[in-house]
Amino acid sequence: MSVLKRLTEPKSLDTMSPLGAVLVYGGLILWSLVVLFPLYWIAITSLKLPIHVSAGPVYLPFVDFLPDLHAWRYIFVDLGNDTLRPYLNSIVVALVSTMLAMLIGSMAAYALSRLEFAPRLASILLFILLGAVMIVAVAGFGVPWWIAAVVALALFLLLARAAGRTMRASLGNGDILFWIISQRILPPVVAALPIYVMFQTLGMLDTRTALIATYTTVNLPIVVWLMYDFFVTIPKDLEESASLDGASRFAIFFGIVLPLARPGLVATGLLVLILAWNEYLLALFLSSANAQTMPVLVAAQNATRGPQWWYMSVLILLMILPVIFLTLLLQRFIAKGMLLGAVKG
Amino acid sequence: MTIILDQASKSFGSVEVLRALSLEVKPGEFLVLLGASGSGKTTALRMIAGLESVTSGRILIGSRDVTNVLPKNRDVAMVFQSYALYPHKTVFENIAYPLTVRKRPKAEIEKSVRDVAQQVQLDHLLERYPRQLSGGQRQRVALARAIVRRPSAFLMDEPLSNLDAKLRGHMRAELKHMQHELGITTIYVTHDQIEAMTLAHRVAILERGVLQQLDTPANIYNRPANLFVAGFIGSPPMNVLEGSLTDGRFDCSAGSFGTASRASGRAVVAGLRPEDGRLAAPGQGKLTGEIYASELIGDHTLVTCRCGDATVTVKADKDFAGSIGQPIGIGFEERAVHLFDKASGERLQ
Repeated sequence: MSVLKRLTEPKSLDTMSPLGAVLVYGGLILWSLVVLFPLYWIAITSLKLPIHVSAGPVYLPFVDFLPDLHAWRYIFVDLGNDTLRPYLNSIVVALVSTMLAMLIGSMAAYALSRLEFAPRLASILLFILLGAVMIVAVAGFGVPWWIAAVVALALFLLLARAAGRTMRASLGNGDILFWIISQRILPPVVAALPIYVMFQTLGMLDTRTALIATYTTVNLPIVVWLMYDFFVTIPKDLEESASLDGASRFAIFFGIVLPLARPGLVATGLLVLILAWNEYLLALFLSSANAQTMPVLVAAQNATRGPQWWYMSVLILLMILPVIFLTLLLQRFIAKGMLLGAVKG
Repeated sequence: MTIILDQASKSFGSVEVLRALSLEVKPGEFLVLLGASGSGKTTALRMIAGLESVTSGRILIGSRDVTNVLPKNRDVAMVFQSYALYPHKTVFENIAYPLTVRKRPKAEIEKSVRDVAQQVQLDHLLERYPRQLSGGQRQRVALARAIVRRPSAFLMDEPLSNLDAKLRGHMRAELKHMQHELGITTIYVTHDQIEAMTLAHRVAILERGVLQQLDTPANIYNRPANLFVAGFIGSPPMNVLEGSLTDGRFDCSAGSFGTASRASGRAVVAGLRPEDGRLAAPGQGKLTGEIYASELIGDHTLVTCRCGDATVTVKADKDFAGSIGQPIGIGFEERAVHLFDKASGERLQ
């Protein structure tokens, strides 16, 4: 056999050809380095003295430089509470907003997957029209907001039916789903200023509650979007059987549907948690001292003397490690074959 | 418990699936809803279960009007075609579900489940998960789950269609025996006429949402009410000859013969079951033709003959030896002929 053939033909059906193996493993090793090197770099940067950080390519501890714990000491001891508070804020805000978004979002996704909604186009347009009139009345003519709200609501309830009879077009579940998803397509920066003014008016700036409320709202569409796809794959037979057996809708949702959608719940939950954990823009707008979260703290290490990479590295490691740990822990729940044995065919 | 459908109709948008269906299932009766796909039989069953709403008409279970009652309050149990077992629960938990969801005491649940499991021979599999069971075992779990709370009625939606032929035959006998022992009113949906004939006390045949005939299997076989039933029941299907009837004498292209009726009609269809026909010498039968095909089934031979422009299939002896093209006659008794009006399809009295 020629050299080329020996290189490109696999020895058996289950193995790769020698050339293929070299290329594949070479590519994988290279990419692993690309992905893992930044983590390594951050880790050693956290152990470097400032002079070593700006001294050029200094990568090997004990060979190029002597590791020093000054950055770690500063972050944990000198700044103790100033590090702990943002850390706790991040944990609380991320966890609570994720749980709320998952609870509300999965119930919405379930409703969209099982029930038929047909909101009339006429009602929606009427609602928007009355809303606009209300805003004009309050802002332009100084009508007290509660009078305008009550009048608008009363008008809506009175006119909705009549409007529905004239214009019969109605939307469906798909439209509602798309509308929910479209909320997330909107870049948050567009809404940042109105949200800021809203919380300022309510006196809720720099509170964890404000952050939790905002993150829940922003991440809800993602939960609905992803969980809808998971719920649709659960056979309706199971729920019909349970309902004949005597279970209420909630018993079916929490006892049958959610356990079967567990892989989806874990995957979506992790995604939303990571989004909330890493969120910077809204946290920057809405928090200053008390509700400061980790991403803002990391960026704040950019002092007048220049970015303090060593402190930043410590904080970044603190930020990344819990998420990596959590993902490794929960990975086994994202398992295949959850639905085996439920239905035939 | 009696189950009554009173003029029950169902439409999905503009599509009318079930048209004014009225039937009464007697207490302890095994009623089979038989029909082809799209006949409305599954819709009727789901309406009784409460899984589909009723467009018009009423449904009564016992003396209770349950037309608008939620499924969980109707006291009926359903066995689905796909079994619908909860994959994250063990067999024990699956069977116990109707009782745990109604918050029965633990001791009662334990006893009921073990009793039922023994009845369906699952007592050694109670700790397994559905994915570890065979098709027949899963089906028995679904049955056990339906039995365990002693409902007023069983509703079964083609429960045997996912089993292989041999297991199906075995489970048919099991089902029949179990229903007889428990004495619970059962409504069973199928497209398989053998299941209908073997299991049912009475069969309701549906076609395109309309009830064709409601009668015992024997009557449906021996006195089909219309052409559809006549052609649907019986394998191989009944032979049909188109012609006219004059004072009880039927004339068609295949021949002319007397019947047990004294009626007349210009467009009449005569039906003859393959087993009622006898092969004879060419001149000696009521119909004359030639052999088109001959198939040995095992215990009999199916001989298909061309008579005029009609095709007639006859069940002959297993030793029958005839060649294709051979002239043949077909004889039969007058009272074996079924007569139907061609336009309406209804049986002529």
